[in-house]
Amino acid sequence: MESLFFLPLVVMTLFMAAVPAALLFYVSPAEILRAVSSAEILFALHLSLTTSILAVSASLLLGVPTAYLLARRDFFGKAAIDTLLDLPLVMTPLIAGVGLLFLFGEKWLGRAMAELGLRVLFTPWGAAAAQTFIAAPILTRSCRAAFEAVDRKYELAGQTLGLSPSRVFLKVTLPLARQGLISGTILAWARALGEFGATLMVAGATRFKTATLPISVYLNISSGELGLALACSWVLLLSGVILLFSLKWIGRSRKRHLQAGGL
Amino acid sequence: MKQITLTIISFLILSLASASAAELHFFVGAGLRQPVDRLVEDFQQKTGHRVVLDYDGGGRLLARITASGMGDLFMPGSFFYIEKLQAEGKILSWRPVVAHTPVIAVAKSKADQVRTLEDLAKPGVRLALGDPKAMALGKTAVTILERAHLKEKVMPNVSVYGATVKQLTLYVAEGNVDAAIIGRTDAFQFRDRVNMIPIPDEYIEVETVPVAVLTTATNLQAAVALQDFVSSPDAIKVFENFGFLPLK
Repeated sequence: MESLFFLPLVVMTLFMAAVPAALLFYVSPAEILRAVSSAEILFALHLSLTTSILAVSASLLLGVPTAYLLARRDFFGKAAIDTLLDLPLVMTPLIAGVGLLFLFGEKWLGRAMAELGLRVLFTPWGAAAAQTFIAAPILTRSCRAAFEAVDRKYELAGQTLGLSPSRVFLKVTLPLARQGLISGTILAWARALGEFGATLMVAGATRFKTATLPISVYLNISSGELGLALACSWVLLLSGVILLFSLKWIGRSRKRHLQAGGL
Repeated sequence: MKQITLTIISFLILSLASASAAELHFFVGAGLRQPVDRLVEDFQQKTGHRVVLDYDGGGRLLARITASGMGDLFMPGSFFYIEKLQAEGKILSWRPVVAHTPVIAVAKSKADQVRTLEDLAKPGVRLALGDPKAMALGKTAVTILERAHLKEKVMPNVSVYGATVKQLTLYVAEGNVDAAIIGRTDAFQFRDRVNMIPIPDEYIEVETVPVAVLTTATNLQAAVALQDFVSSPDAIKVFENFGFLPLK
């Protein structure tokens, strides 16, 4: 039975490997070198990393408590909130961007926020806000599943042994849900890093200001600089891969630690 | 023998069918969508040919035409792209259709602050322009400002660059910027929310919207018929209804 599964595995692996390979085929090492030494691309990479880290931090702050409540409590309107949180997953990012543009625009929040000295539209903050809107639901979804998988008996045991509810959450629930939280964070981060449509609308495509790496790719494709665009996408891909591996490695080393008896 | 006859007959029927109703792949600049949608619908009804419309920005269409080596007709928002394909021997014939003119679109709420091109240099005016490398209109805007000797004063007022003209149009229509340099037809589409300020003739080069038959066209007769159709005087009237200007 299992041996039958190897064929799809091989096909899938080849398919997933072929696309980056095809991309690499069209870029010369010289072009990659040109890309990583271009001030514009380096700025875009830096901006992409900063805004995506901001977006993931915001998503964690908002998503983890939300996920915990959705997993553990029943309250009025829970089903509606649950559906609402899935909405960004099916929304075209460009439309999400238009929505955010209206929300943070002059007619809605824009003026009030400008009086507080906070400008979201056409700034890196806008990019981070757009990425949070797209990434937070993904993170919340994974975290919720992770919390639901934690056996309540352990939490109850912790409480019986005299731990306060907050210590139960920090010492029992969080460590047990760790794997799910980490994979949720990885997914959300990857999504934020590659986010294009919503960011484009809210932040604009201003080079050296709001052009993140995906926007830079788009600008370079539009101006016919295919080589530079592909080199950019390789920089993006590589940073994604490094990110994925480091987070997976953190997850694994912790797991070993747990298996060895520590908590 | 009977089989051969049948094969010949079916071959004849098939080739006749394809002669009378062709399928044409038509690459069209995204900014021309509204008039072209209407014209092509008419064309399909009158001729029975089927037209597959493929809308995108001129640069990206150019990349697709070059990469795929397929397609029947190409109608970008600027003659520049036809020139590029001509150099590669990919254009069979082309025809001018209408003019694509840049204008200054001003949010209605800021109508009294921005009345002329020079007003864009006023301190505090928030302007949106297209990216000069990625968007034809972005490049045009920079040329206009250079010719008017306003570039140095206006550039600090640019609060955002866009990657598509509709993005800029939305920004100004929503009042998130005070003004933007966009196509006349884009401003025309939002004429209830933006004012159109013409740019003096000496600063602009009017872009010609051309329609070309590609050398890769499979059914030449049908392709030429469509080319004739979208460049006819009646078609130009349809374009004018959407804010395009006739060529002088």
